[in-house]
Amino acid sequence: MKDYKYIGKDVIRIDALEKISGAAIYGDDIDFGANLLYAELVQSTQAHAIIKSINTSEAQKVKGVYKVFTGKDFPYKFGLYMKDRYIFAQDKVRFVGEQIAAVIAYSPGAAKRGAELVKVEYEALPAVLNQMDALADNATLLHPDLADYPHVPWFFPKPGTNVAHWRKTRKGNLEQGFAQADYILEDTYTVPRYAHCAIETHVAIGKFDHSGRLTVWSSSQSPHTQRHLFAEALGLSHKDVRVIAPHVGGGFGGKAGVTMEIIPAALATKLKGYAVKLRYSREQEFINTYQRLGVVARIKMGVTKDGSITALDHKIYWDAGAYVEYGANVVNAVGLSAIGPYRIDNVSIDSVCVYTNLPPGGAYRGFGYSEMLFGLESHVTRIANELKLDQVEFRRRNAIKEGDLTAYGAKMNPNGLVECIDRVQAAIAWGKKPVSTDPNKLIGQGFSLFWKAPAMPPNASSSAFLKFNEDATINLIISGMDIGQGYQTVMAQIAAEILSIPPSKIRVETPDTDRNPYEWQTVASHITWSSGNAVKKAAIDAREQIFALITRVYHYPIDELYLEDEAVKCNTDSAFILPLKDFVVDGIMTSDGTFKGGPINARGMFMPEFSSTNGDPETSQGGHPNVHYTVGAAALNLEIDKETGKMRVLKAALAIDAGKALNPDLVRGQITGGLLQGLATVLYEDMRYDANGKLLNPNFTDYKIPTAMDVPDEIIPIIVEVPQPDGPFGARGIGEHTMLPAAPMIANAVEDATGIRIKSMPVTAEKVAMAILAKKG
Amino acid sequence: MALAHEFDYVRPQSLTEALQLKDKYKDKARWLSGGTDLIVNIKEGMMKPDLLIDIKDIDELWQIGFNSGKLSLGAAVSFSELIDSEDVRQHFGMLTDACRTVASTGVRARATLVGNICSAVPSLDSAPPLFCYEAIVHCASVDGKRDIPIDQWFLAPRKTALADNELVTGITLTAIPNSAGVYVKLGRYGGEDLAQAGWGVMVDHNKQYRIAHCALAATPKRAYQIEQLLAGKELSDALIEQAIALIPQETSPITDIRSSKEYRLHVSGVMLKRGLQAAYDRLQGKTVEAHKLLGGIA
Repeated sequence: MKDYKYIGKDVIRIDALEKISGAAIYGDDIDFGANLLYAELVQSTQAHAIIKSINTSEAQKVKGVYKVFTGKDFPYKFGLYMKDRYIFAQDKVRFVGEQIAAVIAYSPGAAKRGAELVKVEYEALPAVLNQMDALADNATLLHPDLADYPHVPWFFPKPGTNVAHWRKTRKGNLEQGFAQADYILEDTYTVPRYAHCAIETHVAIGKFDHSGRLTVWSSSQSPHTQRHLFAEALGLSHKDVRVIAPHVGGGFGGKAGVTMEIIPAALATKLKGYAVKLRYSREQEFINTYQRLGVVARIKMGVTKDGSITALDHKIYWDAGAYVEYGANVVNAVGLSAIGPYRIDNVSIDSVCVYTNLPPGGAYRGFGYSEMLFGLESHVTRIANELKLDQVEFRRRNAIKEGDLTAYGAKMNPNGLVECIDRVQAAIAWGKKPVSTDPNKLIGQGFSLFWKAPAMPPNASSSAFLKFNEDATINLIISGMDIGQGYQTVMAQIAAEILSIPPSKIRVETPDTDRNPYEWQTVASHITWSSGNAVKKAAIDAREQIFALITRVYHYPIDELYLEDEAVKCNTDSAFILPLKDFVVDGIMTSDGTFKGGPINARGMFMPEFSSTNGDPETSQGGHPNVHYTVGAAALNLEIDKETGKMRVLKAALAIDAGKALNPDLVRGQITGGLLQGLATVLYEDMRYDANGKLLNPNFTDYKIPTAMDVPDEIIPIIVEVPQPDGPFGARGIGEHTMLPAAPMIANAVEDATGIRIKSMPVTAEKVAMAILAKKG
Repeated sequence: MALAHEFDYVRPQSLTEALQLKDKYKDKARWLSGGTDLIVNIKEGMMKPDLLIDIKDIDELWQIGFNSGKLSLGAAVSFSELIDSEDVRQHFGMLTDACRTVASTGVRARATLVGNICSAVPSLDSAPPLFCYEAIVHCASVDGKRDIPIDQWFLAPRKTALADNELVTGITLTAIPNSAGVYVKLGRYGGEDLAQAGWGVMVDHNKQYRIAHCALAATPKRAYQIEQLLAGKELSDALIEQAIALIPQETSPITDIRSSKEYRLHVSGVMLKRGLQAAYDRLQGKTVEAHKLLGGIA
């Protein structure tokens, strides 16, 4: 393996000092001076209703209130993959918390006082609060005009129903597959909704100047996508819309695409010369951003006695909420991948995106794969146990390998799944679980595989600018967001490796769409791979410019030149050492006193030109919708108090095939953080709605996210490296994946310890204790 | 944080001045110390006071003293100060246990025990130790002073015996010689949580017991029937089962978002059993980590 200087090294984050010292500026920190106005929303109290009237007269009288806007002021639709959303509700509201009006005031308190005085008169409509009810024949339709909604070509809505998209994947012969099976298991698994709970709530500030240009500062994973949607929805030219994205205090998918940011963007266009800020409270963060979709999954799997999977029928019904402009792509992604990391010849997948009168579903770390894997990896464990086969051996036997066909017929990329299984099995001492000395405690082992592909349009691209400064330091100008994963550091490492400049001499800032080149979004765990490729190309472009100049001035052949220790050197002339700082801006002086060269400014771009969504709508066979999959395995030892049901992870091991870990310390950080986030979703997190569609726990009092106290006693992070041929230095994404195995592992460990199979998330202490009690009779 | 409600704020320099203001405004004024409940209540529109009277400049309310087996706490004493007090740890171990489970480190640095009992939510962690140490709540108003025993303090959820012109100036707790106690709390995870059930269990060398609970009824309560059953008796499995059998009579738990009634009742039995054992262990000088008694992550 090639010996790298900066790649594969535990480089300290380049944004660390700024962030831990409090110097980092976040959206709400920016000072807009005296012309700043504050917006507060009037939100629906009804899950489904016609808006009869909106009376703003009392609000207008509040001291400090400047103006009140309603849907009439903004009759626009928007959406990322399907235009089914409104900036403000028009004739109808479709979930509790939907924005109806905004009160603009000179202080946040006045805005809030005003908002409380806006009177909305509703005529209630029947609300459908879960996806199975929404699929019933006589269900109330949320979107009677679904047929008219523009959407991407790979969505298949069913007008006249609540089905916004139906991804069908068919491979082989399902009936024949089940006929070959010696054993068939069929069951249903359910997963509730979850919230991202980034510690920084959503905030965006819009400003429309007198020349007609819109600037939006927003806490975002997707500045360019936001610019595009703002331009599209508000009828502005892209060149006149500027999105500035300061540091982000956590995203997890919740700040992908556009949610509330469109509100201050739109309001600004009617408040020329002012800046208008909308900052969500924690409650608003829970009720009116994206949420993770709820799932009902019906799995039927057939296997032979010796443990080969012959057929899989996987039907997944998604509670996607009132608007699915982003959430429908979660449904699509899983509909292509619901075989899990297994080689299965006969497959039927129906992934059905269903409108409900709950808040919009959208991207959440894992993009649907956590929900899918809870059922599938529970099911696989049960089948192996029924056949009295070791579940790890069963997984190894069926594990997908390079060249095997995925559900949609494309070939699986190179991967280290079996190595992951082997190493996790060894690390956790599978089959040799510890025995507690405490008679109240049981210990179980749980295992799970995972896989996930980036879900992207086939032409999602990344680009990079790289400019040298006089002292041969670099400004790397890119548009991905560092949402905690260490993106800026890793991009600096890539440029550093190519250009022999230490990462500490490379500055990477958060983006401004006016100055930074295009990036699709920081989502899908694709940014290391995609933006990394663009940065690598930009660095190579810079290197080529440098070598061309040296050749022009000194006449060394290009293939004899190389970069080392911030200087150009020559293979054939060890005396030639030209420090980069001597010429990367000022050029090289020649014997006649003239200069050659000039500032080195480079660029790079990456688009996966092999990707396509041209699969057959009835089978998904054909195209190449997913660029590659990242795979892994994980296991844990779980201690359960058999009287209280309370659980403690004694040890967890998680192996992931990173292709190449560009910064192993950051990969280990993702393993720890992802695992913890996943464990929280299975052990105690859960969004609870009442019978009227109102969220009962929009707060950290009753929606619990993990604390430092909740970290497992021991975590063994394992990095496997089977290179991704088209990845930068062989890297592929690992960010979301680390949370995927947590939920099925816990359910599997609970069964191993107690004999009780829990098929609905979360698997709380209460659920476990009450099941143990019931079993005792 | 945007507050829709507007109010005045004063910070009196003496108790007399504070009480005169409260007498003038009555329930239109709210006492402010840590503010960890009050400000949230104002933000959420649950309280709309005209005036906040901040008591933090009144020196006598900051006192914490231990004398002749009695612990006196001023109204401004925070949970953090109680946790750090060696006197409290030595003589009121159950109170230290309970204080450690209230909210999180940051909140405990501001929040006060007196504020906690004035909020009077059913899940009040500090209530079981206050019952077991037979706390006296000291109140003052322009009309004079009065003392209210803790078992007459809680009237209903969020409702106490405090009159609308009164201030709680402090609390006095009485240590039980040769005793040991433990507070056992049921929460949903390792971080801060409101109790789904809380049991304070105390035993002394004469096998006299004091037992109280929170989050299992409209107000925190002392479990007198269980105390009487156990009084003077050596613990045995059979006796503990009899005590557990009394829990449905001693409590009236509800089902809410945090827990079902059935789970609260079931785990209460486990808590009482393990709490009794832990109290005995402490009495014999053994180390007990109260937060680990129910298993799981804590």
